[in-house]
Amino acid sequence: MPAYHSTFLAEDSNSRNVGNLAILPIKTKFKGPSLPSMSEYDIIDEVLDLFRANTFFKNFEIKGPADRTLIYGILYVSQCLNQLNLTTPRQEAVRILTNLSLDNFAIPGEIGFPLNSLYQPPRDKNEAIFLRQYLAQFRQELASRLIGTLYGGDPSKPSKYWLAFSRKKFMNKSL
Amino acid sequence: MASINTPAVVMDNGTGMTKLGFAGNDAPSWVFPTAIATRASGSSAKPSAPAKPSFLNTPNVAGSSGSTGGSFGTSPSPALSSIKRDMADLDFYIGDEALEAAKGPGYSLHYPVRHGQIDNWDQMERFWETSIFKYLKCEPEDHYFLLTEPPLNPPENRENTAEIMFESFNCAGLYIAVQAVLALAASWTSSKVTDRTLTGTVIDSGDGVTHVIPVAEGYVIGSAIKNIPLAGRDITSFIQTMLRERGEADSSLKTAEEIKQKFCYVCPDIVKEFAKYDNNSEMFAKYIIDTVSGRKITVDVGYERFLAPEIFFNPEIASSDFLTPLPEIVDGVIQASPIDVRKNLYKNIVLSGGSTMFKDFGRRLQRDLKGIVNERVSRSERLSGAKSSGVQVQVISHKRQKNAVWFGGSLLAQTSEFKSYCHTKQDYEEYGPNIVRNFSLFNVPR
Ligand SMILES: Nc1ncnc2c1ncn2[C@@H]1O[C@H](COP(=O)(O)OP(=O)(O)OP(=O)(O)O)[C@@H](O)[C@H]1O
Ligand SMILES: [Mg+2]
Repeated sequence: MPAYHSTFLAEDSNSRNVGNLAILPIKTKFKGPSLPSMSEYDIIDEVLDLFRANTFFKNFEIKGPADRTLIYGILYVSQCLNQLNLTTPRQEAVRILTNLSLDNFAIPGEIGFPLNSLYQPPRDKNEAIFLRQYLAQFRQELASRLIGTLYGGDPSKPSKYWLAFSRKKFMNKSL
Repeated sequence: MASINTPAVVMDNGTGMTKLGFAGNDAPSWVFPTAIATRASGSSAKPSAPAKPSFLNTPNVAGSSGSTGGSFGTSPSPALSSIKRDMADLDFYIGDEALEAAKGPGYSLHYPVRHGQIDNWDQMERFWETSIFKYLKCEPEDHYFLLTEPPLNPPENRENTAEIMFESFNCAGLYIAVQAVLALAASWTSSKVTDRTLTGTVIDSGDGVTHVIPVAEGYVIGSAIKNIPLAGRDITSFIQTMLRERGEADSSLKTAEEIKQKFCYVCPDIVKEFAKYDNNSEMFAKYIIDTVSGRKITVDVGYERFLAPEIFFNPEIASSDFLTPLPEIVDGVIQASPIDVRKNLYKNIVLSGGSTMFKDFGRRLQRDLKGIVNERVSRSERLSGAKSSGVQVQVISHKRQKNAVWFGGSLLAQTSEFKSYCHTKQDYEEYGPNIVRNFSLFNVPR
């Protein structure tokens, strides 16, 4: 039983891609170009479900565009955890991770994007703008749900069980 | 001379733990680390160089301790150096006392068994000496001995063992049994085992290595054996790492070991298991240490409960160089065995050793292995168009699994025929050490 793949691979044929990354619909109130998710379970839920298991794996065979969305999400969760420590209160975490989600970040094809060997760049400038907007929305929604998970009952400090995963590197990569 | 009534001594000296007791009992009377603490030589107290792993050694002849004469040897050892050694001999500890002694200055700790094979004969002789005289408190000339060995043990090792047993200790008789064969015999206590055969696949997982050993009618199929470099100590150190990464109040090896034995289990699917912990905080546990000062230290126990034993089924989570899951290895071992025994090897997969004790270990192994086998069956059905009769995959867990090797030895050594399968002190004197290169197989008592 190797690392887990995205269940959204099954929808790859209908999904919109930029390069070879799937632009999957997400349930979110954050502004952006994502289509609303039709199903109860979206890629953000999946990232949070698979994060802890998959971070133990160095090897991962990408089976389709949805796996790239999953990888991006998992690596973003790692990056978020690395910004927090065992005493960061919830309000502080919201501020830190909101900034991280929106701060300039590299998208596929740009220097500074660490996974360019696995991700194709956008075809043109419009696609690049679209991708950046989608990823910003994706990152905000993911960070927001991650905070919900980390601070479950106690707004004073994040779960140490989750924070312990900040040292793990899925596929030996980090954003 | 050994009287008819004295029970045989059964000794299973594992890499990590020695199991010691008398035939006929359900459990060994002593279980302690196969460790010896000796006085660090001279005042220089130089750290002892780690012994080479035994597989790097050429067959150990020079190191054979018979030639130096043990302190209980029948032959006098005139050389001054060995008299000196006899003095030094008194100053050592074995088992838990050895671990204790080695905490202080002046003693260094050794593990004379490495990867299942005896690696330091001198230390092993002293270890046995103490086992016999201090623990068992018996006169070796009154007892037959059953000792165990790993699969593919070089015959020279058997000779060295016999030399010590007969010349130093004067044992009445000796039988050296292959651990896997004893583990098969131990499984006869399971209600799932209907015919008492010595055919099956043994998964023996102790502290240092996990062996997968196919056995057909009491003979190990040597060419198909596989060793996996993951076992108890890797699981413990995985737990220790997780405790450290979480900054727990205590992350010593001892704590990790206790957590392993008390709290770990095998789950069906790790993602679903994480979800269980999210939905039910009672899945998390607490391990409480009472310190000498009366203070209590609380260590939280989390995902390591199921992640640690998962390394058998997903080695990648702990290791970067060994990646094949145990069920795949088992399948490979059986496929590498002669075709006419495969069916029986799949049907009787027997667990043995401390590291198979995790709850649901056998269940998961059976499920994953069935998956692999069914996959192969349906592939060949597709190719041939013929329906297969299927392959029965059965993993046997049983009550005596933890010390299965010792228990199997106890079962066999209590039979009335046992002594007739042993070599005696007279045989040894008459024919020399190489008689122990062969022992006849037990007839299966029914
Ligand atoms: N209840 C338990 N659950 C999990 N692991 C256990 C349990 N009890 C013992 N162990 C582990 O089993 C290992 C010892 O097993 P065992 O006595 O079978 O090994 P051994 O015979 O010394 O080694 P080998 O067979 O490799 O030479 C240790 O790593 C110990 O931590
Ligand atoms: Mg053993």
